[in-house]
Amino acid sequence: MILSDKVLIIGGGVAGLTAAIELADSGVKTVLVERQHTVGGNALDLYKAFPTDDCFYCFEASRFRPGIRKCFYRSALLDHPNLELRTNTTVEAVAGSPGNFEVTLMVGPQYVDPMRCIMCGLCQKLSSAFVLISPQCQPQAVVYVPDQADDNVKEAVEKCPTKAINLEAQPTEEVIRASDIVVATGYHEMKPVGMEEYHYEELPDVVTQLELARMLDPNGETSGQLVRPSDGGPVKHVMMVQCVGSRDENYYPYCSKICCVFALKHADIIAQEREGVQVSVVYMDIRTYDRHERYYRKSRRAGVNFIRGRVQTVSKAKDGGLEVIVYDSLLDRYLKFRVDLFVLSTALEPSAESNEMAQMLGIRTSNGFVASLDPTSGDEVIVGDHVYACGTALGPAEVPESVTQARAVALKILQGRK
Amino acid sequence: MTETDGSERPPATLIEPIDMSTLDASFRREIQSMPDGDELSACFACTTCTAACPIANQWEYKPHQLIRMIILGMRDEVLSSKEIWECLTCFQCQERCPQKVRVTDIIFDCKNLAAEEGKIPDAIRNLARELLEKGQLYVITADWEREDLDLEPELPGLSTEEFKTILRNTRTGRIVGGE
Amino acid sequence: MPTYNLYMGCSVPANYPNYEAALLKVAKALDVELNYMEGVGCCGSPNLRAFDYYGWLVVNARTLAIGEQNGHDIVTPCNGCFASLKDALYHLRHDKKDMKRVNEELKKFDLELRGTVRVRHVVEALYTDVGVDAIREKVTRPLDGVGIAIHAGCHLMRPADVTEMSIEILEEMLRATGATVVQYPLWKQCCGATVLPVNEALAVRLARDKLRSIKDAGAEFIMVVCPACGNQLDLQQFGIKDTYGEGYDLPVLFYPQILALAMGMDEEEVGLSMNRVPADPILDHLTE
Ligand SMILES: Cc1cc2nc3c(=O)[nH]c(=O)nc-3n(C[C@H](O)[C@H](O)[C@H](O)COP(=O)(O)OP(=O)(O)OC[C@H]3O[C@@H](n4cnc5c(N)ncnc54)[C@H](O)[C@@H]3O)c2cc1C
Ligand code: SF4
Ligand code: SF4
Ligand code: SF4
Ligand code: SF4
Repeated sequence: MILSDKVLIIGGGVAGLTAAIELADSGVKTVLVERQHTVGGNALDLYKAFPTDDCFYCFEASRFRPGIRKCFYRSALLDHPNLELRTNTTVEAVAGSPGNFEVTLMVGPQYVDPMRCIMCGLCQKLSSAFVLISPQCQPQAVVYVPDQADDNVKEAVEKCPTKAINLEAQPTEEVIRASDIVVATGYHEMKPVGMEEYHYEELPDVVTQLELARMLDPNGETSGQLVRPSDGGPVKHVMMVQCVGSRDENYYPYCSKICCVFALKHADIIAQEREGVQVSVVYMDIRTYDRHERYYRKSRRAGVNFIRGRVQTVSKAKDGGLEVIVYDSLLDRYLKFRVDLFVLSTALEPSAESNEMAQMLGIRTSNGFVASLDPTSGDEVIVGDHVYACGTALGPAEVPESVTQARAVALKILQGRK
Repeated sequence: MTETDGSERPPATLIEPIDMSTLDASFRREIQSMPDGDELSACFACTTCTAACPIANQWEYKPHQLIRMIILGMRDEVLSSKEIWECLTCFQCQERCPQKVRVTDIIFDCKNLAAEEGKIPDAIRNLARELLEKGQLYVITADWEREDLDLEPELPGLSTEEFKTILRNTRTGRIVGGE
Repeated sequence: MPTYNLYMGCSVPANYPNYEAALLKVAKALDVELNYMEGVGCCGSPNLRAFDYYGWLVVNARTLAIGEQNGHDIVTPCNGCFASLKDALYHLRHDKKDMKRVNEELKKFDLELRGTVRVRHVVEALYTDVGVDAIREKVTRPLDGVGIAIHAGCHLMRPADVTEMSIEILEEMLRATGATVVQYPLWKQCCGATVLPVNEALAVRLARDKLRSIKDAGAEFIMVVCPACGNQLDLQQFGIKDTYGEGYDLPVLFYPQILALAMGMDEEEVGLSMNRVPADPILDHLTE
């Protein structure tokens, strides 16, 4: 094995990014494949992060790269000599043998050249087919959405000061050789459409925690304002309900591990930063593991109302907002609430097509997530011969844990090359 | 106290704990061996069943408490409860139980055990008697109505004797006969 | 032509011959053959399951075995019969010991149950085997989008692993008549019929809450597919007037009645006058 053998990393979330940067910094040629137009994954939408309550746009993983101020999203991902970034790209086939994989990539059309785009916003003004996914997107460029194309897109092509737009771009197939593959395909937040008692998607004021995070984010659609999605009315009472789709044999049998912590993170943010907003949390167990117990204590002190029990019904209230009836199992009574925002702490589920991915790589899964080759070995990141996984591709995890695993992967690969 | 019932005992002040040795520890296994009872022990006391139940707000024992009582072995209390007979058999609790405990079906099992011990509301006993006597729940009385609608006056194909024969030899017969 | 074993039960023929008549006429018009099952009795209803599980298994196994003989599916217009037959079959399929024991019993009637027969609600059978498109084609006087709330009934819908039903089936069937499906918060709630014998006040209260939820949602009619639900929601409206002083005036119709009218049949043919809360306002919504 030689140092110049490439490593393929699938998934550009926190875990994949960390693994890619660590390896690239150590001199290993790395290809990072991301199916979205921007890297960052779910962390892009999280606003503030536990355990440090930092802004999520900068996180610990890049501590050793002072030049980029702890921030991946302003990092020079595109300029790194050892790192090839392929966004809008998926893995189509894996052939060859462990240590010498032959991987076919399907690279989506690159309508906007990220090396040229200066994000001047001119095209966006002309047509809604050009969008900026997030100010923190990486690569730093707008994205062209062909479905949204209108008569003005041609003009944008002409007027673009850097001539970054090419509407004729075609998808391309690319075959690369890689010695090792790292699965960092992450998770998806479950959308509880089938759970009739919660009326998700039917009642606009019923949202998930990720959707709430978007609302709390100053960069989100509501600029950080908490308003009722149904009618824009003010939010005076937020109710959260835990274990939606988790610990449920009809959906996901496992505990999603971090939803108690992020629910309380949001509860704290609201209780402390939004004046006059009451927060209630309906739970059956609060599982703020190890150091995160502090969020539980903090939110109790901040006046968050904890109700042990389950929700009976959610319905539209006459004067806007929702009427929620909860069975309080400690009191053994049913309680009726008027709430403006009903937030479901839904399960973290395997990301779409992870089964196909596992099959393609010949690796095992457990509950849909990638399974360690030998769960008892302590090398949880080894999932196959020359195949590794890190982050939430392995199951629900917080960022620090995902980062630790990503580093473990980088270390394992480097050790293998000594 | 102004009135006494004759027996001079000190008034109850503190409520005694339930003495676990007086409970029927085998009740749990008994239910588990009955139809749909196997998932009973999976209950993790989340109370979703009670939240789902449309009528438990007027019950002394809520659905999750009935399940709890079965697990603990409170056999008499469960089998003599009015709750098991008031259950609408609407299956809302069962549908939402995250641990697939077949709550409604287990309440059905309890009713069968209660019936075996003669703990059965009069109205239900009457129903059993009617089933046995008539061989069906409802008998056609207004056959002219049927004829007006071009239907046979009697229900085609109906035969009630076999139904009676079967139930005479099962618990229905015992319930009705053993009054 | 789709052919079925029709298990009518005892409630429909005794209490709601209008439901029976409308069903037969609709089936005929849709080219569906419904043959009354020969030599069958009562299902005992889920009530029988409550106090005599084994007896309930045997009486229903007998009906199932008779249906199994000619290979056609059993269909029924009654949720109680549906639940009893389907539930008994589910249990027998999952319990080999009981299946054996029950078959010993069935020998006395020269019958044997293998468990291959299918039990279906007749409306689902029409939905799946005839199809909404074919039904819509036969609708000559579609309803003018009038708001109708569906009460499906607990024993038709749950437990889902037993009943294999979904509410969309009923919704699509109702829409095929031109009506609008009105959603209401308490759509899942029990009508209260089961608890009538042991707690009448509770039964009335449940019906009342349900009716109120339907009324508040703006529905003008209620559609049911079960004689027990129909009876409870229709008849109790008079009791509720007495106990709660509330009048709901919500006519309750069986699905085949609605469909038959939309297919051009007249009110006598579907026995509209037998519906307790006067249901003739539905006629005003038929487009000619
Ligand atoms: C509401 C909420 C709040 C949270 N708050 C916190 C918090 O405060 N602190 C904290 O530490 N953690 C928090 N988390 C957890 C945090 O989101 C995760 O730990 C972290 O984002 C995981 O990163 P990842 O790289 O493993 O996965 P992801 O972020 O899911 O990234 C996976 C990436 O892989 C890509 N991908 C997937 N499949 C493919 C494929 N087949 N081909 C190519 N690319 C693919 C995806 O597009 C995505 O970009 C929160 C989670 C939620 C839901
Ligand atoms: S006009 Fe060109 S440079 Fe400006 S944002 Fe659009 S693509 Fe980028
Ligand atoms: S972390 Fe909390 S909310 Fe999430 S599944 Fe576990 S107990 Fe439920
Ligand atoms: S819903 Fe299921 S797990 Fe929860 S308390 Fe009821 S029986 Fe137990
Ligand atoms: S089946 Fe019985 S216990 Fe369960 S929700 Fe219905 S009424 Fe309540």
